[in-house]
Amino acid sequence: MFGNRQFLILLFAALAIVPAVANPYILYICNLGMLYIILALGLNILVGYAGQFALANAAMFGIGAYGAGLLQVKLGAPYFLAAPGGAILAMLVGTIIVFPALRLSGIYLGLSTLAFAMFSQWVLLHWNSVTFGGGGFPAPHLDLSPLPIGPDLGIYFLSWIVTIALVAFAWSLVRSRIGRSFVAVRDGEIAAQSLGIDLLRYKGLAFAISGFYAGTAGALYAPLLGYVSPEGFDLFQMIIQKSMIVVGGMGSVLGSVLGAVVMVTVLELLRAFKSTQEIVFGAILIVFVMFRPRGLVTLLQRLPGWEEPLSSFDSRRMLARAAAHVSEPGSPRYPAGRDLVDESRP
Amino acid sequence: MMMFAYLLASGITTGALYALVALGITVVYKATKSVNFAHGDLFMIGGFIAYTFHVMWGLPYVVSLLLAVGAGFAIGAAAERIAFRRLREQGLVSILLATIGLSFILKGTARAVWGGKGDFIPFPPLANPRPISFGGILLVPQQLIVLAGALAVMAIFAAFFKFTKLGRMMQATADNAKAAKLVGIPVNRVYVYTFAIGTAIACSAAVLMAPITLLYPDIGFVLFIKSFAGAVLGGLTSIPGAVVGGLLIGLIEAMSGGYISTNVQDVSSYIVIMFVLVFMPQGLFGGAVLRRV
Repeated sequence: MFGNRQFLILLFAALAIVPAVANPYILYICNLGMLYIILALGLNILVGYAGQFALANAAMFGIGAYGAGLLQVKLGAPYFLAAPGGAILAMLVGTIIVFPALRLSGIYLGLSTLAFAMFSQWVLLHWNSVTFGGGGFPAPHLDLSPLPIGPDLGIYFLSWIVTIALVAFAWSLVRSRIGRSFVAVRDGEIAAQSLGIDLLRYKGLAFAISGFYAGTAGALYAPLLGYVSPEGFDLFQMIIQKSMIVVGGMGSVLGSVLGAVVMVTVLELLRAFKSTQEIVFGAILIVFVMFRPRGLVTLLQRLPGWEEPLSSFDSRRMLARAAAHVSEPGSPRYPAGRDLVDESRP
Repeated sequence: MMMFAYLLASGITTGALYALVALGITVVYKATKSVNFAHGDLFMIGGFIAYTFHVMWGLPYVVSLLLAVGAGFAIGAAAERIAFRRLREQGLVSILLATIGLSFILKGTARAVWGGKGDFIPFPPLANPRPISFGGILLVPQQLIVLAGALAVMAIFAAFFKFTKLGRMMQATADNAKAAKLVGIPVNRVYVYTFAIGTAIACSAAVLMAPITLLYPDIGFVLFIKSFAGAVLGGLTSIPGAVVGGLLIGLIEAMSGGYISTNVQDVSSYIVIMFVLVFMPQGLFGGAVLRRV
């Protein structure tokens, strides 16, 4: 019948014919939407699967964009070297965060990575000799000159290919041994360790993959926008990405895609009003956390004829049910969102 | 020496305000084990409410202060009652996400109601802005008022926490909510008061601070992160720790701004947060850290 895979194939098929029918503005929005799909996937692997509540994704996004842009502008590297350079730089910086993450969890990790994100934004603002300071710098558009493709279409199709590749990678990653280890770490670090899962290795992997995704999105963002400046990677960027995975569904590849598409649409509809954007985003976040903590993806799964393979999502539900069964009567039922967090002090 | 004394004075003044906000963060943290991300934005809203009463409607300063504190109390209670209570069972990250959502709602509301980004609203000073000399050290009278006000709020809060029934119920709930419930403490109501009082303290800090700084919708986050640094430095669970931590952050900022560079001033609190959380998560006053399995 119809399931995750068909949904994604239809979505990307639709995105492939967008350039033929859409105006440049719609093209830009669809392109931006794909970058947010990448960002939401990276964040969801880290937060939704591996359970590491980190708030530094916006900074990794920025590092990827700055890395790709500066390698071109300062060192004259061609884009196809600079872009992986930016992504790998973000991956390396992201991996460094694993060291605090080994000692911290839950809100402590969240707030220390938030401090790290603010710190890196401060560096972007004040390291004038390298980053051009608060004004930012123009990044070159994508030039595919031998090919008869303009920069707008070029970056669009490059993003399309990269997004598909990264969705496919995430898809198989979360079903692999690594993905299952992430879920084990999320659901109980000590239990995971007792099963022989090396925390340093798997947390490090989760941070590295997430950093690479965010950095890749950044490396695509620089030529798409043609300009790189620190404002794009601030606190609001962080909440945009966070709300995407909350709205779409934590711990779900399809949820990341869905959340990115929905939230980019909302964002663009409200583009003109910063205050309305903030109020709407905040309200959406609260409403989803309160009333639909598993995200929009649960609505899709209820459609008649929707096929959902056994996934980590189901096993989690079963675990929750089992836990509710064994817990003492009168104690709060096993909470739906608690598996996202390790409540121990750092 | 002159410069050191000046930095000391301004560091203690801003530090006292950070201490007040950190106090609210710590009170809420002790009760719920979650950090209220919106705390700084509640502070900011308190400042704007006082601005509305005092500057736009011309009410006396003290009346505006009391009204803003009352409004903060009501907002905090409402936020707990409407959103956070339902999330307590869902875990800490849910509460943190909801407070992030609340923080953006408040910020957007402030932007919509009191002006756009970059509108820095001046708040008239209470005292003569001319500095007075204390044994060769120049002090701005406003700073003394702020310091006295902050100390007064802290003293009132300490007395409340120690000597009133509600204060002791809050302590009991923070220590062990289940046991508190068993001995008949209305835990849910205590949580409402905890959020309300935390917010009220933040609003009092905002009204004290408004005359020496400017008000703008984004001040909330800046203040939150600095005060959080103070709370973390104090161990997050210790109320004296929050006060000392807040003062220390004020001093660190003033000294690094004065002797190194004003750019470093902005970043010092981030560095403190990262350093303390990673290397000494129990802070200066927190108890030993237990790991729950």
